[in-house]
Amino acid sequence: MTFWGSLVYDLFPLIWSGMITGCLYALGALGLVMIFKCSRVVNFSHGNVAGLTAFLVYGLSSGVLMSLSWGAAVLLAMLAAVAIAFLIYSIISPVVFESDLTSTIATLGFGLIAQGVTLLVFGADIVALDLPIPRFAMSVLGLLVTGYDLTVLVVAIVTIGALFIVIDYTKLGIAFRAISENPFAAEVCGLNLKSVHYFAWITAAILGVIGALLIVPTTFLSVTTVATFMLQAFAAAVIGGFASLPGALFGGILVGVMMNLFTFYVSPEYSSTFLLGVILVALNIFPNGILQKVGGARV
Amino acid sequence: MSNHATHITPDQSVFTRLSGVATPGATAGIVLTALIVMPFMLGGSWTFTLGLCFANSIGVLAVSLLVRYGGEVSIGHTFFTALGAYSVGVLDTRYGISLWASVPLSLLLGVCFGILFAWPSRNLHGIYLAVTTLALALAVPEMINNFDSLTGGYEGLYVATPLIPGVSMGMQRYYVALVMLVIVCFAVARLRLSRQGMALLLAKTHPAAADAFGTRRVWARISIMGISGGIGALCGATLAFSGSTVSPGGFTFWQAIFLLVGSVVSFYGLSLPRVLLGGAFVTLVPQLLSASGAWIPVFYGLALLGMILLGHYMPRIRKAMSRNSEVS
Repeated sequence: MTFWGSLVYDLFPLIWSGMITGCLYALGALGLVMIFKCSRVVNFSHGNVAGLTAFLVYGLSSGVLMSLSWGAAVLLAMLAAVAIAFLIYSIISPVVFESDLTSTIATLGFGLIAQGVTLLVFGADIVALDLPIPRFAMSVLGLLVTGYDLTVLVVAIVTIGALFIVIDYTKLGIAFRAISENPFAAEVCGLNLKSVHYFAWITAAILGVIGALLIVPTTFLSVTTVATFMLQAFAAAVIGGFASLPGALFGGILVGVMMNLFTFYVSPEYSSTFLLGVILVALNIFPNGILQKVGGARV
Repeated sequence: MSNHATHITPDQSVFTRLSGVATPGATAGIVLTALIVMPFMLGGSWTFTLGLCFANSIGVLAVSLLVRYGGEVSIGHTFFTALGAYSVGVLDTRYGISLWASVPLSLLLGVCFGILFAWPSRNLHGIYLAVTTLALALAVPEMINNFDSLTGGYEGLYVATPLIPGVSMGMQRYYVALVMLVIVCFAVARLRLSRQGMALLLAKTHPAAADAFGTRRVWARISIMGISGGIGALCGATLAFSGSTVSPGGFTFWQAIFLLVGSVVSFYGLSLPRVLLGGAFVTLVPQLLSASGAWIPVFYGLALLGMILLGHYMPRIRKAMSRNSEVS
């Protein structure tokens, strides 16, 4: 009883909460993959920009900058994220078509600037940023399900569902897929590469903000919180193959569950080292992403 | 270029004339002579800072080498510098062994771990190595703090065993760093002329041709990461000796990115003056801006972007200007 009892008692809640955070890693990873798929750039500024916008929500709603309602603050922060993504892509777009390595390095520059601006405006203090959600908890089949869990689940399903509908059924989504598949042919057919790239960068920024806002209540908000959260997103993207959106979703949930089990059963102090190991192993076993092996080549 | 050297028109500035006369070798020679006499003219604190500049220059060189020969970017070279620094620090404080033994050890460790981390992404697009090194950079401080019985945790280690007993430690810290930098620069210059170096460059620019000549791309990618990791470890070893302390604060994620920024600022140069520029940038900017810490990342980010955009637009501007001068 003791071993199996504790296993069931610990294991299911751990997997459940891992899946919840995994959905958030997936949101981050989807943004990274969208940008990589069409513009071949790895956006290393993703975490820092999302962190900056999370701080903006805090600043606008708590009275540090303004004291707006939470909804208005989120709306303004979203607009800021869109503007920042637009600006970043506008500045590096001439480099993007020349060398994906150089443009990847350039995104690190934006990451540094976003980090510095966060430090300059909000300082290095740790702040708490909560979501205005009903606090309740209920027990479902022995699992403790909180209002936060349900909020995350609903938001993630709605966002990811909307994203997949846009990519699968709208003209913009078809253009996105065409450009990811073969940019030259897509351009010959009359598609504007830049406008589709803008779509990917802006969508990724919005996904990043949503992910950042939802992850913050579980810990706290500091300059590094969201940037380290994005390492999980990177690991998720690598597990998914970095060029597959369903892979990123699957990888995110997998990373969430594995991280939770690792921190509980082994040690919370080696979480980055564990992720490094996960990335190395994943690259060795599934070089093209975990879903590639199961489903064969995607056409 | 040959036009510049042969026809020096009166309207050209003194600077372009000088740069036309000076060969890269001569420039490196002049810089080196100046650096050798420097400690006799400067105070102790400047000598110390210059030693750190040399050490960081080696790190910048390691990152640039990876970009130049491998076409790949690393944002986790602090792993290798930490490896080198802690092998020097641990051997020194625990066993009293000086650099004679710890430098070869750190080189060996650096090469081995470079190969180890390049191995999983050997067949993949270059970005996978970048993401691996991102995880590497974030894992380094964690590893250092958790192995505190060996590494001394937050407090760090103090390196005090001289390389040559009897010579003043301040002078040793300066000249050891300078000699290391010169050796590494010389070795890299020789690599460019060697058969292996040519093969690596061919594998980067024309993988199919390299395959046809018997250089496999996988081999090239793994070996360049090995070389770069080894040089990174030498940078760490030099940092430990010249900086006299080894602590986790020197191997943060930001330090890894700063090394890359230094490499970009020196336009991925591999010559002695260029890497010195990168190393000086990495060392001096945080010191100059130490009063306003939050401006450091902003400044680094702007410098990074500025250099990248300059590298992108400069050839175009130059072309437009030469077209204009032809017309007039």
